[in-house]
Amino acid sequence: MMEKFKEWYEKRHEYAKEWKSKTGGKVVGYFCTYVPEEILYAAGVLPVRILGSHEPQDVTEPHIFGMYCPFCRDCLAQGLKGKYDYLDGIMIAQSCLHIRQTFTSWKLHIPIDFSYYLPMPNNVQSKRALPYLTGELKAFKEALEKWTGKAISDEDMKTGIEIMNQSRKLTRELYELRKQPNPPLTGLEAMYAVVASQIVDKKDYNETLHGVLEKLPQRPAEKDSKVRLMILGSEDDDTEFLQMVESLGAIFVVDDHCTGSRYFWNEVTPNQNPLEAIAARYVERVPCPSKDWPERTRIEHIKKLAQDWEVQGAIVIQQKFCDPHELDIPATIESLKQIGIPAQFLEFDVTVPVGQFKTRVEAFLEMLKEEDLY
Amino acid sequence: MTVVGIDCGAKNVKALILEEDKILAKSSVLSGFDQKAAAQEALDLVLKDASLKKEDLAHITATGTGKEEVGFSLGTITEVGANAKAINSLFPSVRTVIDVGAEEGRAIKINDKGKVIDFAINEKCAAGAGTFTETMARALEIKLEEMGSLSLKSQKAVPMNAQCAVFAESEVVSLIHAKHAKEDIVRAVHDAIADRIASMVRKIGIEKDVALVGGVARNIGFVDSLKRDLNLDLLIPDDPEFSCALGAAFAAAEKAKGG
Repeated sequence: MMEKFKEWYEKRHEYAKEWKSKTGGKVVGYFCTYVPEEILYAAGVLPVRILGSHEPQDVTEPHIFGMYCPFCRDCLAQGLKGKYDYLDGIMIAQSCLHIRQTFTSWKLHIPIDFSYYLPMPNNVQSKRALPYLTGELKAFKEALEKWTGKAISDEDMKTGIEIMNQSRKLTRELYELRKQPNPPLTGLEAMYAVVASQIVDKKDYNETLHGVLEKLPQRPAEKDSKVRLMILGSEDDDTEFLQMVESLGAIFVVDDHCTGSRYFWNEVTPNQNPLEAIAARYVERVPCPSKDWPERTRIEHIKKLAQDWEVQGAIVIQQKFCDPHELDIPATIESLKQIGIPAQFLEFDVTVPVGQFKTRVEAFLEMLKEEDLY
Repeated sequence: MTVVGIDCGAKNVKALILEEDKILAKSSVLSGFDQKAAAQEALDLVLKDASLKKEDLAHITATGTGKEEVGFSLGTITEVGANAKAINSLFPSVRTVIDVGAEEGRAIKINDKGKVIDFAINEKCAAGAGTFTETMARALEIKLEEMGSLSLKSQKAVPMNAQCAVFAESEVVSLIHAKHAKEDIVRAVHDAIADRIASMVRKIGIEKDVALVGGVARNIGFVDSLKRDLNLDLLIPDDPEFSCALGAAFAAAEKAKGG
């Protein structure tokens, strides 16, 4: 029923190439979820999120410092190896330095028609963030118009916002189903869906997800109840890890990843000025830890997710060397502990050490269900 | 009621027969390449030693890295859970268990009933575990068994940074070239491992009493270093490497009683 998402995830390049030959349109690869896809859709450009492959590589050493996160290196490796040779442009919105280095190296070493750095403000809690970003979005829109040679009308902007909002609404509905005592979908399936939404045309995604949402409630639920987990941290599309954990009698019911719920959680509230409406969405969205200061707002959001989705334990997982997350993790774990939710911390690399992670996850699950085990 | 607990570790497979609260027999064999065969051999040995047959056993529970490899087990428990059970029975006052095996170091926080409250396991690197000592013994051209007593003879602390077993070996070589006394280098190795283990324990918080188990607990030099680092006394069972197997046997007994 949900195989299509997995297929898209696995054949993302084939999909994009096919999309290009079918529509004759341009494809822009983007590096961070602060990129306003609304404007790209308004311009008729397909945004695809650049992700890693989880395969060891040996091509990024000259370009990226060894203590930058494995994800930023994995992404650059895909570019250097020519996996994204169909892209017409790349762009990034300012978030962390690591992924910005990927963008910069890519621009420097891989010939590309269009590249754009959007200076998304870091201090989103400032009152000046909204007018600043609105102005930057205007400049971005104009750059896009110049590149495509086509003006973007207000009507186009409205369409762009609608496509994005529709996708967010539907994905949220999918997450709502995971609140059930025996959710009709696994965490792995949810991950395939959300990540697929970032790499295929939202119109295709929305249509498929709409169909899935009609059928899912009838799907026979598993009889055995499982340990309800949440997973949170930095970029994570490590399907192998989720599969391993869910094979041990646990189920992921919710997440806080930028490849997961942070990506789609907030919608744009349309108003007279579409650029300002879009800017407001990105300023007010559930923040990446690199932007969550001086006040830490994300932890309250995580606690609420944990309670609303009735999780029993949390896996806190991060890309090795991800400084913004490293800063937040001790406070996050402590806050979860205070509401009675134990957390297990794990550190990702490009490839997952499944054996060692399994040992720890097994012990964590054993701890969570100890009362009824013996 | 007679049960078996079997601990399929990275280096050795340990088996133990328990009759009520009495240990009837113990065995330990090298895990080697074929863990399944090693597990079978360990089981055969304890059965022979106790003059029992497999049919006499009410239950068998496996634990350890290779627990899935034990073909004949009827259940499994993690090393963390097994240690908690074993130590809660041996030393009821213990709230923190430190387990240092061949490839893994673990710190486990338990309550008065032996329930696991929190735990930490070392990251990928083996610098905080037994295999590291073996590598260092090789570099120093001494037997592993000599490491402990030699270390106690040291009069001088030499700093060493055991971030990685491979690089630490080259660091040991530099210390040798700098003409440091062998016993001081051995102590430096133990201090370095103790550092790694202590920082892992601090991550979950140290609550007294503290027990040390696992094969490395037999190394008196390491024990000395860890005591100094944590600045407290450590409770060590008689056969520290059998702690997991004993915990697995307790789990087997509980299972057999249908608890």
